[in-house]
Amino acid sequence: MTGIARFHGFGLGLRRPHYDDFICGGAPVDFVEVISENYMVEGGKPLSVLDAVRAHYPVAMHGVSLSVGSAHGTDRDYLARLKVLAARIEPLWISDHLCWTRTSAHNSHDLLPLPYTAEALDVVCANLSAAQDFLGREMLLENPSSYLAFPENEMAEWEFMAEVCRRTGCFLLLDVNNIHVSAQNHGFRALDYLGGLPLERVRQIHLAGHAPGEIVIDTHDREVCDDVWRLYAAAMKLVGPVATMIERDDAIPPLADLLIELATARDLAASAERHVA
Amino acid sequence: MSLVELQQEFMDQVLTDGRTLPCGWDARMAAGLDIYRNAYRSTMVEALRETFPKTALWAGDHAFSQAAAHHVITHPPCGWTLDLVGEGFTETLAGLFANDPDVADLAWLEWAMHLAFTARDCVALDAAGFAAATSSYGEADWAALRLAFLPSLFSREIGSDCIALWRALADEEPPASARSLEEPAACLVWREGLIPVFRLTETLEARGLGVMITGGSFGDLCVALQAAVPGDDVAKTAGTMLGKWLADGHILKVV
Repeated sequence: MTGIARFHGFGLGLRRPHYDDFICGGAPVDFVEVISENYMVEGGKPLSVLDAVRAHYPVAMHGVSLSVGSAHGTDRDYLARLKVLAARIEPLWISDHLCWTRTSAHNSHDLLPLPYTAEALDVVCANLSAAQDFLGREMLLENPSSYLAFPENEMAEWEFMAEVCRRTGCFLLLDVNNIHVSAQNHGFRALDYLGGLPLERVRQIHLAGHAPGEIVIDTHDREVCDDVWRLYAAAMKLVGPVATMIERDDAIPPLADLLIELATARDLAASAERHVA
Repeated sequence: MSLVELQQEFMDQVLTDGRTLPCGWDARMAAGLDIYRNAYRSTMVEALRETFPKTALWAGDHAFSQAAAHHVITHPPCGWTLDLVGEGFTETLAGLFANDPDVADLAWLEWAMHLAFTARDCVALDAAGFAAATSSYGEADWAALRLAFLPSLFSREIGSDCIALWRALADEEPPASARSLEEPAACLVWREGLIPVFRLTETLEARGLGVMITGGSFGDLCVALQAAVPGDDVAKTAGTMLGKWLADGHILKVV
């Protein structure tokens, strides 16, 4: 495997209300991120749209169903379809989450939390290595948001992530909003989390909105809040120039609104670069 | 607890209400589990609503939500793709709305359109290609003729005019009641280019199509038509069906 080159740019997720803007290449972004599973189909309009978008933009594939933490191993049918899609669009990279979604019988279609134990670490590393070998490329692993912590935990999430990177050679998709959400829910310092990761392996950053409350929920249905912008600015000083993307999956606003948020990310990233220089 | 046991327990907690928590999982864990359970339910119900928008409109929001929740409980998803969350939902609705078969007919139409939407891209055999493939056929060859059909083609016998209902709902002018069909009929769904389309037809054509889709020969088709069509007209009726399937782009190849 050859590693994943850094790509410094600012992108958005491909969502149905904005198809026309991306198909014609009119959206002023540097790359587009797609939910892999939405395009792991036999044919028809979804692939037609994706081909048209790919003609104008680099595309990052972001998955939700790899289930890298599943004790039942990887799903070969899923990986085969993922590989076919990757061959078709030649993505910047393929990413998924540190989580699990299925048992041998059922699929939650939700990103469920892992216990951070030595056993789970072995499982994640075995599954991720198998996936990377099958795909013939390293992947990006995204830190999750979570709403509970298992009493079985033996290490911090960032320690778990760092060890997965070390053992599998994977890269990181750093979701700054997820760090903020989990920090609120579990009472750790977000900067401690950042400090515990091998930040040189970060290739992409996610930004999103969340719903505040006794338990903060990662909803992706509103603007990025000030606390997350501050954490993003801090992260960019540590990470250096990488791809940044705004994730919006619900209550999707006009494209112009998202471009305003993306401009904020550009400004903060530029300030961080000046600060480091 | 091993990881396998922990994940099985967690999944059971997500899929089931009111399950006792394992030892050591406290109130904070319970609160977190509630969030995952609610997220799972709402994701599934919303996916069904997005897949069956006109059925939801026709059944009514509350009734549809209850039916969707019932389906999610009785048919928890197994596969990795949310696209198949609607598998079996037509049958669930047929059971729940036994006195309103138009609900299940409409749901079937939406599900078939959903499947056709992402079916494999194929080039249909046209009349010239068919003529070339069968140019040397004798009588015995015709009887043995078998066809492969496009994967985006679906058919079902229906009791209500779900096509008229679908169109009325698309225009946001739902009728007061669904129109029952005077004669038994069938609905065909397929894809033209990137767009799923449909037409109403006689049950005879749907049954004939069913014979050939499942691997029957043109001779088998003629035998199947004999009970409903006068003897002299069987071959002509079968030929007309074949011509229609060619014209509508249903046939992939002669096999």
